[in-house]
Amino acid sequence: MTFVVPVGPQHPMLKEPEFFRFEVKGEEIVGVDIRLGYAHRGIEEALSRRSYKHNVYLCERICGICNVVHSTTYCQTVEQLAGVEPPERAKYIRAILMELERIHSHLLWLGVAAHQIGFNTLFMLAWRDREYVMDLRELISGGRVHSAMNTIGGVRRDVRSEHVPTMLRGLDKLEQSARYYTDLWGSDRTILARCTNVGVLSKDDAIKFCAVGPLARASDVKVDIRKDDPYGAYGALSFNVITEQEGDVWAKGMVRLREILESIKIVRQALKELPSGPVRTPVELKIPPNETVERTEAPRGELIYYIRSNGTDTPERVRVRTPTYGNFASMKSMFAGGTVAEIPIVMWSIDPCFGCNDRITLVDSHTGKARVVSFDELRRWKK
Amino acid sequence: MPRILPQVLRNLFRKPFTVKYPYVKVEPPEGYRGRLAINKERCIRCWLCIHTCPARAISVDKETKRPSIWLGRCTFCGECAEVCPTKAITMTKEFEYTTLYEK
Repeated sequence: MTFVVPVGPQHPMLKEPEFFRFEVKGEEIVGVDIRLGYAHRGIEEALSRRSYKHNVYLCERICGICNVVHSTTYCQTVEQLAGVEPPERAKYIRAILMELERIHSHLLWLGVAAHQIGFNTLFMLAWRDREYVMDLRELISGGRVHSAMNTIGGVRRDVRSEHVPTMLRGLDKLEQSARYYTDLWGSDRTILARCTNVGVLSKDDAIKFCAVGPLARASDVKVDIRKDDPYGAYGALSFNVITEQEGDVWAKGMVRLREILESIKIVRQALKELPSGPVRTPVELKIPPNETVERTEAPRGELIYYIRSNGTDTPERVRVRTPTYGNFASMKSMFAGGTVAEIPIVMWSIDPCFGCNDRITLVDSHTGKARVVSFDELRRWKK
Repeated sequence: MPRILPQVLRNLFRKPFTVKYPYVKVEPPEGYRGRLAINKERCIRCWLCIHTCPARAISVDKETKRPSIWLGRCTFCGECAEVCPTKAITMTKEFEYTTLYEK
């Protein structure tokens, strides 16, 4: 006989609203049903009502943690549509910012993962060291979180030469702490007891359910858009794709921590090889009818942008597929066979960002037809 | 013995990483995108800032006939400061603009 444990939409375990229905047999989870759409914001519709230039800042706000990679992907897509190529220096500055973002996102993941297994000391330490990378971001972009650096055709600010020594010093500190956490993650008894053989995703399942990002790499699937389909400056930068064999929560953490070290290497190389020249090319933003797709490697996995233009200065349709959406399908095989106490850490092991991923389509259950809800109708529902 | 204990003991005896904020202030770096300042004498009323603002936070002040920024909507992207031909809008390093009442 199975019982149902509902988790969400409002639940202390979840950072954002989403509904999960766990079927349990005693302590063991036998099935999970996921219902998405609680954090729907109508952002794709909003994107198709603003001009290309204004959309850069709206795209940046799809995800707070991975804001640079969102705006970079958007700018790359529009640049491809308009047929312009950003200058080399701008590509390098974008790469530096994206890698700093990967470092801060993975350190944030480490902190919350430690918190989920009740290891609050590590949570405090990881978030303390995350401040170093936030300071570096503030130094070169002028904002701790939202960088507002990207624009269509390049970047808005240059990395000044007097900032480079400060950045290298900050990276040294980060490397020291990242090495310490990598060491700790591989040897601490608490972490090993809570994370090994928990939430295992086998290599076959990772391929079958199209897992992306660190989740796939922890199951020994070598996918990284930076390497497979190089964009921006990544073709010229040298780095390794990190993979682990086990596929459990421990491996997912290890992939992320080793990626921090790899990102530090990339930032150092990019700062060293930073080409001189302008950072911006002027763009005429009246784009003839066309469509294009661009994909990048966000900290959480593969991010896809699709834009269709119609000859005006606003896009006709923008579709954003965030990495969390790609990872939801793998969740069932990760949860099945586990215990109820494992739910928080397994859930967090995919690094979910529900706010970025939620989209809504209203389908009439009788006729099977999808329809659009007008603003007046929404206001009536609110009452 | 837990591996993290040496780090914890070291933290116990060294000075805190955090600063006592209202009493000790950390100066933001050069180029920080803080509160916007409008120099009303330099404004030539071209309204480029209104057109370029992605959050539509800038409007025309009815009395002075100069742009005024609604900080509740402003996203501090700095586009208006960049586009202003006479540099009448500038970004300051001020970040303390929390208030209890709408002024």
